[in-house]
Amino acid sequence: MSLTTTFVGLTLQSPVIVASGPASHDVNQIRLAQEQKAGAVVLKTACSDKYIHMRSWPRPRYKLLDWDKQIAGRSKAFSLYAYEQGYSGTLEDYWQFIKVCKKHASVPIIGSIFADEAHEWKEMAVKVEQSGADAIELDISSPHRPGSLGFEKTFVAAIKAVVSAVKFPVLVKLSPGPDVVQQSISAQECGAKAVTLCNRLRGVDVDIENQRPILHGYFGGIGGPWAKYYTFRHVAEAAQAVSIPISGTGGTMSGEDVIKYIMLGATTVQILSVIMINGWESIGRINGEIEQHMKQKGISSLDQIRGKALESMTYPDEIIRWSGESKKGPRNTWNEEKSE
Amino acid sequence: MERGKERVVRRLRAMDNEQAKYPGLPPLPPPFVKDFPPVAVVVEEKCIACDRCPPLCFFDAIVMELRPAHKYKRTAVVITENCTGCGLCFEACPVDAFVWVPDKKPGARPSKATGESERDLSA
Repeated sequence: MSLTTTFVGLTLQSPVIVASGPASHDVNQIRLAQEQKAGAVVLKTACSDKYIHMRSWPRPRYKLLDWDKQIAGRSKAFSLYAYEQGYSGTLEDYWQFIKVCKKHASVPIIGSIFADEAHEWKEMAVKVEQSGADAIELDISSPHRPGSLGFEKTFVAAIKAVVSAVKFPVLVKLSPGPDVVQQSISAQECGAKAVTLCNRLRGVDVDIENQRPILHGYFGGIGGPWAKYYTFRHVAEAAQAVSIPISGTGGTMSGEDVIKYIMLGATTVQILSVIMINGWESIGRINGEIEQHMKQKGISSLDQIRGKALESMTYPDEIIRWSGESKKGPRNTWNEEKSE
Repeated sequence: MERGKERVVRRLRAMDNEQAKYPGLPPLPPPFVKDFPPVAVVVEEKCIACDRCPPLCFFDAIVMELRPAHKYKRTAVVITENCTGCGLCFEACPVDAFVWVPDKKPGARPSKATGESERDLSA
């Protein structure tokens, strides 16, 4: 029995990947992830020089919504509202960051970039490859960028430009928008080796005491344990539409959630909020929970359960339905006696 | 049963008002945010040494220190060099012992988006 997973040609010791974010912003964090036997680490997204302001972060930038201070990280109902931006160093720092990570860590390193023009995407991706990363994730769906950059107009050209320029695997991180399936198909046609579903939703909360939006007064990325349900759906739909592997991300708090993602067709699962809330030990705990489930059910490899739940997924037309009325018939007769 | 409940209520009322309630972070950046980067500090007199903030701080910026003169013998302390001003410790604290202070080290400049406006709400 082993958790070993093959993903875009890389052999991972676990399907659990550390997602791009504050847990992959520093070299020492890679060591922590490796000690906990993470499958891979997606580094913090680096922004091109055009988005230089995204290298500075507002203060404060996190808010835990519906957070119960008594039960803290054991809660299954909270939202992490985050206004965190991109990698805080220059691009030169980022290439150096990848080099140092590769020099000291054995865990696969996946770079992550965000740019505007197709040639910028290409130049940055080539640099990431030269720096020694094992793969690259194109973050075309940051919750902090409004819809001024269209998928068809900008990103298809960007994916094509990157895929034609590099030899290592290209992942595409999609937004949780309405066309996830269509965009996954486009990414596959453009030559992406995998899709990551999905980035965070954009959301906002209101401070009714001060009559204004919370923090800095703008939409931020929101996620939390509840967020897994919409990603489950996107993973399930995309898994039936594309043949490239899927990396599911959103709301994973336990090994159970990882197994659910895999049963819906995901190959790997990216986690982040749980590390921030419950610490780095969460990766080891989740790995342990998956192993325990496999032991109980006699599963020797995760390939045996991948996509299992999809086999029983049906269509609305095939669901058996019965009358919603009670035996007495239609409910629109007013009962005079009872109302008195 | 009822009497037990009354006793709990009485004890809660007798407690320091600030300990009995669980206020959240007033979700506003501090007024000096335009001039200096805010960092968090602990008001040591308020700290009840509950150990909730060090594990929630993702940047290893909070440690518990011994204070023999303190009511609870220990207090949380922010290591300013590690603090990124993210605000998570405010969420951890049940007694609102965290406040923002300006980090007045030289060279820090606020940064803002230039050129293209981010005010497109269509996404």
